[in-house]
Amino acid sequence: MSWVQRLSYNIMKDLGAPMVMGLAAKAKKKRPAPIHTPFGPRLKCAARLKEIMTRHYFLARYAKGAKPVAWVTSGAPVELLRAFDFYTIYPENHGALCGAQRLGPEYCGIAEDHGYHQDLCSYARIDLGHALSGKTPVGKLPRPDLLFASNNICQTVLYWYRVLAHRLKIPLLLFDTPYNFKDIRREDIHYMVDQLKEMIPVLEKVSGNKFKEDTFSEVIHSAKDASLCWGQILETMQQRPAPMTIFDAFVHLAPIVSLRGLPVALQYYETLLAELKERIDQGIGAIRDERKRLMWDNIAIWYKVRDFSNLFAERGMNFVTATYTNAWAETSAHMDVERPFESMARTYGQVILNNNLNHRLFLMERLIKDYQVDGLVIHSAKSCKPYSVGQYDLKRILMERLEIPSVVIEADITDFRAFSEEQTRTRLEAFFETLEASF
Amino acid sequence: MTRSAYLRRQKQMGRHLFGVFPAQYPREIFWAMNTVPVEIWDPPLTTANANGHLQPYICSVVRSGLELILQDKTRILDGFLFPHTCDSIQNLASIVNDYLGIEIPCCFFYHPKAPFGKGSRDYYLSQLKFLTAQLEKLFGPMDPDAFKRRVDQGLNMQERLAKAYEMRRLGGLAVSNTSFYRNIRLAEYLHPDDFISGFETFLAVSKGENPKGPGIILSGILPHLEILRLLDQQGVRVVDDDLLNCNRRMPLSAGRAQDPYEILVENYFAMPPCPTRGSPIQERIDFMMDKVRSTDVQGVIFCGIKFCEPEWFDVPQMVAAAKDAGLKTLLLDLEVNQPLSGQLATRVEAFVEMIS
Repeated sequence: MSWVQRLSYNIMKDLGAPMVMGLAAKAKKKRPAPIHTPFGPRLKCAARLKEIMTRHYFLARYAKGAKPVAWVTSGAPVELLRAFDFYTIYPENHGALCGAQRLGPEYCGIAEDHGYHQDLCSYARIDLGHALSGKTPVGKLPRPDLLFASNNICQTVLYWYRVLAHRLKIPLLLFDTPYNFKDIRREDIHYMVDQLKEMIPVLEKVSGNKFKEDTFSEVIHSAKDASLCWGQILETMQQRPAPMTIFDAFVHLAPIVSLRGLPVALQYYETLLAELKERIDQGIGAIRDERKRLMWDNIAIWYKVRDFSNLFAERGMNFVTATYTNAWAETSAHMDVERPFESMARTYGQVILNNNLNHRLFLMERLIKDYQVDGLVIHSAKSCKPYSVGQYDLKRILMERLEIPSVVIEADITDFRAFSEEQTRTRLEAFFETLEASF
Repeated sequence: MTRSAYLRRQKQMGRHLFGVFPAQYPREIFWAMNTVPVEIWDPPLTTANANGHLQPYICSVVRSGLELILQDKTRILDGFLFPHTCDSIQNLASIVNDYLGIEIPCCFFYHPKAPFGKGSRDYYLSQLKFLTAQLEKLFGPMDPDAFKRRVDQGLNMQERLAKAYEMRRLGGLAVSNTSFYRNIRLAEYLHPDDFISGFETFLAVSKGENPKGPGIILSGILPHLEILRLLDQQGVRVVDDDLLNCNRRMPLSAGRAQDPYEILVENYFAMPPCPTRGSPIQERIDFMMDKVRSTDVQGVIFCGIKFCEPEWFDVPQMVAAAKDAGLKTLLLDLEVNQPLSGQLATRVEAFVEMIS
């Protein structure tokens, strides 16, 4: 790593970033709260979240050369990389950000012009579009020294990161997590532990830093606390009225995805949790008149988060839980500083998408009961096959067992060319009618 | 004899039948358990029932496989095997095992993904033994001698298949593309005793100079019958392939270990590069370019299956490499059993004109 770049990074970290954040805050015009709104007061923490994420992407511009840089998949055991002081970028988080800004088709189009099929995952196409053009709404992403992927969320990330490794000519580390067709087995754990240990020499070489087990344990400790705190945040939505909506949670999960294992993630979630508890004490709900409580299945439709948030809130319907946001809390109890490698294997080998559909069914049944859910909205995401294949069966079984009304929205996570406004509206209207009739 | 008649006969002979979804699995273990693995790639069915379980963006291999089960055409089978090939097959396994209410037992097989370390070999070995244990629960203990014999037979079969590919590459097989792949694909369901003897005969009667014509390589998942017929009509020779259900499952070197399990481990790690095993793209390109260099091909046809992510991520890099080498390329986005439309035929004919 170059000392000039390290100096420049440190100056930006200590002086540049606070100055830019300060200027941005000053320049921001305060929007008056709308008089007629179905929503409760905004979360105060939202501004802090924006600051954290802006700072993360701002500093990323100066990270190259100052720190080893890795691009990482959302389900990879990043704790290991933190022990080597990697600056980590999450292309999926970047893809979501592009999607929310309705840039999906533009960036996907760049990848398509280079031969990548329009049927491929749109997170991958956005990322390849970025890699091929340098375009990004965050200014600049640092070129990685290493790619770190785990197929515990899908096999797609493996195909996608292979393309990046080929184009960028850098090493790809895969954490191969055997899919749990049934229960996880001892051999699966051994295999995953072996892989993590075999990664250490590569990480030492790329980062130039020696592995320290103490540091690794500290990171695991921090990641576990942040994940548990995130779980407590989600649990606050069991209250009536729920102090936040799942659309808020889609946004507030950014630190647990992108900054897991760093102190800032835990600090932020502690503040958010305190605010939510305060709202519960004061009976403040995320929406003013919470009449119906809903569950969301699958990744968000990022370009529709605001529209859907309004559409449902206007009808007194609040999303109080989601299988997606739960994913970063569900297995964190397995993290154990006494057995760092094995606990990483158990934590990351058992995430929702690495389990058979019955696991998801039981989880959904539990969430429906714990969060007193009245209806289910299923996003059938063209980009995400492991999340989507099986949803029709889950819908049918949940209806049979719990008589829970549900609707399937055929869409995509970021590419709104795969979204039909009219078809979705028709389906949702029918769903609303069913839901109202079920009073 | 039709496939179903053959399978009924196997059953009458006391053999078990196992429906196997794509793609990588150790068939020798099945043979040793007196079981015929019957691969399910492209059953010729009109899809109707599967649409109630699968979204429109799921590939036709998975869709037609599920349709086969839903149309109750798998009743003759004693079990299903789902190798961990892609996200769609992974979840299909769960749908079939957990939600269809069928009484046919399901087994699962996870094969490690590259980059391979020492742990990968140990893990693959453990998976082979786990598969054996799953089958033993159904069919009783495996005879070690039978296992050794079947593994040797597997090596024998590989040798013959490799020989057929070599003969074709060198222009020494006087058969049509259609006939070549029809015979190769018999390995998807024939018992090895039948396959090896039949294939010997095929090689013997097919020996001869290959009709001249422009040469191409086929890349993709599986050969499409209508495309093969069209290529035959146009006088195009498929001189080699990089198809998942054909050459990409033929080890590049034969296992030499003493222990039959170890031979199967060696075989898996000697398979040609493939995205379903996580192989680096450069290895795939090198594999294809080695074929180009050792033959007189003028072009490559990429026979992709619509919505097949493992394949379509690699295609742009492979197309670029082929073009850099001065080859013509044609990309086809197909469904299995898709009839040849006029537009598709025109595209293939235009490609043939370019390479002729």
